[in-house]
Amino acid sequence: MRYRVRHITTYTYGAPVSLCYNMAHLLPRDTHNQRCLNQRVQINPPPVYRNEGKDYFGNQTFYFSIQEAHKKLVIDVLSDFEIFPIDLTLWQQNNTTTCGQLRANLKMPMTPQMRMAKEFLMDSSQIRRSEELKAYAQSTFSDDKPLIKAALEFTHKIFTEFKFDPSTTTVATPLEQVLKQRSGVCQDFAHLAIGCLRSVGIPARYMSGYLETLPPPGQEKLVGADASHAWFSIFVPELGWVEFDPTNDVMPNDKHIVTAWGRDYADVTPLQGVIFEGGGSQQLAVSVDVKRLL
Amino acid sequence: MQSQTGLLTAPTVDASSTTKAPTFSSYDQPINAYDEAFKEDRQPRPHWQDVLANVKKLGPEGRIESERRVQRILREDGATYNLSSDPLTPSVWELDLIPNIIESADWSLIETGLKQRSALFDLIYKDLYGPQELLKSGTIPAEIIFGHPDFLRPCHNIITPGQHDLLLHAVDLVRDKNGLFHVIGDRTQVPNGAGYALENRAVISRILPVLFRDNQVQRISHFFQTFKGMLSKLASDWTDTPRIVVLTPGAYSSSYFEQAYLANYMGFPLVQGSDLTVRNGAVWMKSLNGLARVDVILRRVEDAYCDQAELRADSILGVPGLLEVARAGNVVLANPLGSGLLESPVFSKYLPAISQFLTGQQLTLPSVQTWWAGDPIDLEYITSHINQLIIKPISRRADNKSIYGHTLDEKQCQEAIKKIKKAPHLYVAQSYIPGAISPILDNGQLQAAPTMLRGFTMSDQGGYSVMPGGLSRVSQSHDDEIVSNLSKSKSKDTWVLSTQPLSNKIASNDQAILHDEAVQTNLPSRVVENLFWMGRYAERAEISMRLLRTLFKQMNGIDPLPIESRRLLLEMASRQTGCLPGFTKADDEMITNPDKELISIIIDGKRPGSVKANLHAMLNCGEQVKEMLSADTRIIINELRDHIHELDRAYTNSLPSAPEESLDSLVTSLLALSGLNHESMLRGLDWTFQEIGRRTERAIQTATLLRAALTKSLAEPEQQQILESVLLSVEALISFRRRYRNRSRVAYGLDLLMTDGTNPRSLIYQVDQLRKYIQELPRNDVPAAGLSPENRLVIKSLTDIQLADLEVLAAVDRATNTRTELESLMTQILEQLEQFTVLISDKYFDHTEGPQPLSMANWETSL
Repeated sequence: MRYRVRHITTYTYGAPVSLCYNMAHLLPRDTHNQRCLNQRVQINPPPVYRNEGKDYFGNQTFYFSIQEAHKKLVIDVLSDFEIFPIDLTLWQQNNTTTCGQLRANLKMPMTPQMRMAKEFLMDSSQIRRSEELKAYAQSTFSDDKPLIKAALEFTHKIFTEFKFDPSTTTVATPLEQVLKQRSGVCQDFAHLAIGCLRSVGIPARYMSGYLETLPPPGQEKLVGADASHAWFSIFVPELGWVEFDPTNDVMPNDKHIVTAWGRDYADVTPLQGVIFEGGGSQQLAVSVDVKRLL
Repeated sequence: MQSQTGLLTAPTVDASSTTKAPTFSSYDQPINAYDEAFKEDRQPRPHWQDVLANVKKLGPEGRIESERRVQRILREDGATYNLSSDPLTPSVWELDLIPNIIESADWSLIETGLKQRSALFDLIYKDLYGPQELLKSGTIPAEIIFGHPDFLRPCHNIITPGQHDLLLHAVDLVRDKNGLFHVIGDRTQVPNGAGYALENRAVISRILPVLFRDNQVQRISHFFQTFKGMLSKLASDWTDTPRIVVLTPGAYSSSYFEQAYLANYMGFPLVQGSDLTVRNGAVWMKSLNGLARVDVILRRVEDAYCDQAELRADSILGVPGLLEVARAGNVVLANPLGSGLLESPVFSKYLPAISQFLTGQQLTLPSVQTWWAGDPIDLEYITSHINQLIIKPISRRADNKSIYGHTLDEKQCQEAIKKIKKAPHLYVAQSYIPGAISPILDNGQLQAAPTMLRGFTMSDQGGYSVMPGGLSRVSQSHDDEIVSNLSKSKSKDTWVLSTQPLSNKIASNDQAILHDEAVQTNLPSRVVENLFWMGRYAERAEISMRLLRTLFKQMNGIDPLPIESRRLLLEMASRQTGCLPGFTKADDEMITNPDKELISIIIDGKRPGSVKANLHAMLNCGEQVKEMLSADTRIIINELRDHIHELDRAYTNSLPSAPEESLDSLVTSLLALSGLNHESMLRGLDWTFQEIGRRTERAIQTATLLRAALTKSLAEPEQQQILESVLLSVEALISFRRRYRNRSRVAYGLDLLMTDGTNPRSLIYQVDQLRKYIQELPRNDVPAAGLSPENRLVIKSLTDIQLADLEVLAAVDRATNTRTELESLMTQILEQLEQFTVLISDKYFDHTEGPQPLSMANWETSL
């Protein structure tokens, strides 16, 4: 499947910003089944400095700095890519590693992969392990249960027990509260799942990207109606990282487009940085379009 | 001072006679620790004999006197540590008279070990911020690094030119009871202490010159020369004339003295984060001449605070965008960002294995035995032996305190264990080595104190160079706890003895300043701004004090002061200091009993405009630019501090009996300060700006004084009294009498105070000086046609004064009984001068506000 993603970020400031430095995670990376065909970044006003690179997790980064006064900043990213479908059922059937085996392996890691997976087992700036999170997931990830089966069950559990409601959370809502109120958005569900998984000893990482949405039958798709999306993946010995989307109760395949991964949202914030001046107020508008290319 | 420098010099003693030990009764025989100076039979070790014999020969009084001299020199050098935000009470660095002496055989073991350790730490940095083979292979448990608060992922893959990433390294060593050295700590992100070592050397070689020479002490200056050369080569890929700066967290960081000292010693500008800016992918210093490219940064700001854009957004010490410039290889930081990770005590546990893995070598210098609580077996050991261990947080930060197991009672032990078990991977335990003892002087008496040595290495061609010396510190508290940070301990000069006579090159003077080009040709604008304000505050304080002094003299004169004069003089004091309303709205009672308000005007440091507030502000500006001040200036500033303390004491409860006298010494110190500026400061831009500050302020103060004193017309005897008071306060009364005999007319006074170009306190003199100074200022902007606005203001003021008809100014408007012309002219000139300072400040000083973080995307924009 080929896609074109257009992601436009617009900042509007109360007063002119004289200078800014920004690190963007807006360019989708290549993965085992995703290949980037074309990328184009347009920034207005044009940056005096720009540099593409790779971050610690291998994600594509885009750094830029603007030195002319501006009240509005527009970052327009257009990327085309191809995603190859994977036979997920084969994975589910063939991998029999149980949760208990993985936990035991992690305790006495024998392979480099196993050792490095520990990075996603530990607390990160936005996700802390806790007893509450552990309690919510513990029974699902019992020692004898196959890992992928358990993760699917858990994905389904979040999907059914939590309500999608953007009004109930913000970037700063702690996981414990999300767990209590049983509602939130995709980032909350991804963070919550990761927190639970780590609390029960399963390495989990945060996936950020896009998902194509389809309009209700008979209606035309609105421009900019898509959005960025978040889900999680877990470490499965032999297979590597296997993805799950608790917001939609699916295992992502060729409809999920990956931008970046990290320990949590903070590692892959779409745009971070500082501005000089600009008054007190900043307004942010994001428009995303995901289109299939034929 | 010949006799003093010779105080401790002794005739060369031949070896046989020195075996008779100088023993001191107060030196306790230590138990269970190595003694640096004495053998078990209480005889001095051979390499200590000369020094101990000489110290003994001084006698108790001589020793106390020498100790005092040490402290005096340190204070005069401005050697402080842990400066509180109160500029009046800096804590002076403490230095023991007796050096720590290390013989060459011991030293070569240390040297070899330090070289090896630094080379290994360099490889660890490269690996952890690169391929991470140490983690993949399981040499270090991966969760130690992944969960370490100082592992900064954005610093991944920073490239430092040359062979090494780790450019500087400081290592803390102690000797166990068998005399073997062990490493107990590493400093990698801001490895400080080398500057203090240099200062210690400068002081002790002054106090003990002959001893120093006769003992063939290895010189440390060569280390700094090499260091400077090393830093200069780092940017050789893109420039042959690199600009190197020292990045400081600011005047109130604990080791600011050292930063300023090193910056001066090596001739690098000392800058704060806000003095730098990232533009066009490079780092620049904001200077009076515009932006100047910075190539190498010797930083004293810790990793996480260096860049608000990618590291801690709440930092006020950083340079936004710095990390990206470093990553792109357009600036070099010593040490590179992220190196704070290496300070973790946890590495000590794995070092032998790391060394095997990365280099195949065995370590020659052992680390103190270390356990990591994240390892279940280690945790068990820690729990059962907590009394014998030091518990350290895995991250070395100022607020992370070590716990000394042997000082805990049973309950505290349980609490500590509970704390560790809550987050075991964040704790490390180390066995406790009390440290060798060495002799220190305490009030002339010899005492034994546990000693620690900090050694310094730097990247050099092919390997690492070790400073032949170091920073020795002794614990002064009588419990045996080694203090591993710089506070709360006394330091010692460290003498590494050479077996061979020193070559001339190496024996070069350790006090010599290293810079080879004219220093400070290009200053950060913040520095200049502080000098400008220092000049202004000094002048403001001086004129207030002069007026107050006159006021006290008049009020306490033989003849009682008429009430009208008294009121006006008191009002002038309020107006001059700006402590309003003060006496300007006073009732008769307050005029009769003005003491309370006068005391407040003088010593209420919280009241803006008070004498003390102005002096504080001046001292604060001085602290900010400490590195710019000459040794003599520092002496005067110390005197000023003392005088302010005396003033506090004298005025605390009531006015002292002769209040004017208590102000005299302060006025004298301020005069000495301005005299020094004239006599010993190079006429650079720093001088010019300080002078502009002074002249502007004196002009403002003079105009204020004239307006406050002479606007109101008084009857004849009172008018004369006021005029004379004004003249007296600006030291012009004698000239006035000589010139005008007894004709005390206001117009004559104005002639002397306003328009006489030969009087260095007249208004016209100040403005005329300003006119000259602004010609010398750099013009960054495209030269516009005609005069610059600030120049225009000065010329306008000058002309206003020159064209003034003094008789008209002195004329009294009968309707209001005031000199309206005088009042309006002074007001106009004051407005123009204030405007002038605003223009200068806008044009030359930096007023950028700090950055603010970009707000994060809200969840609503996502699925």
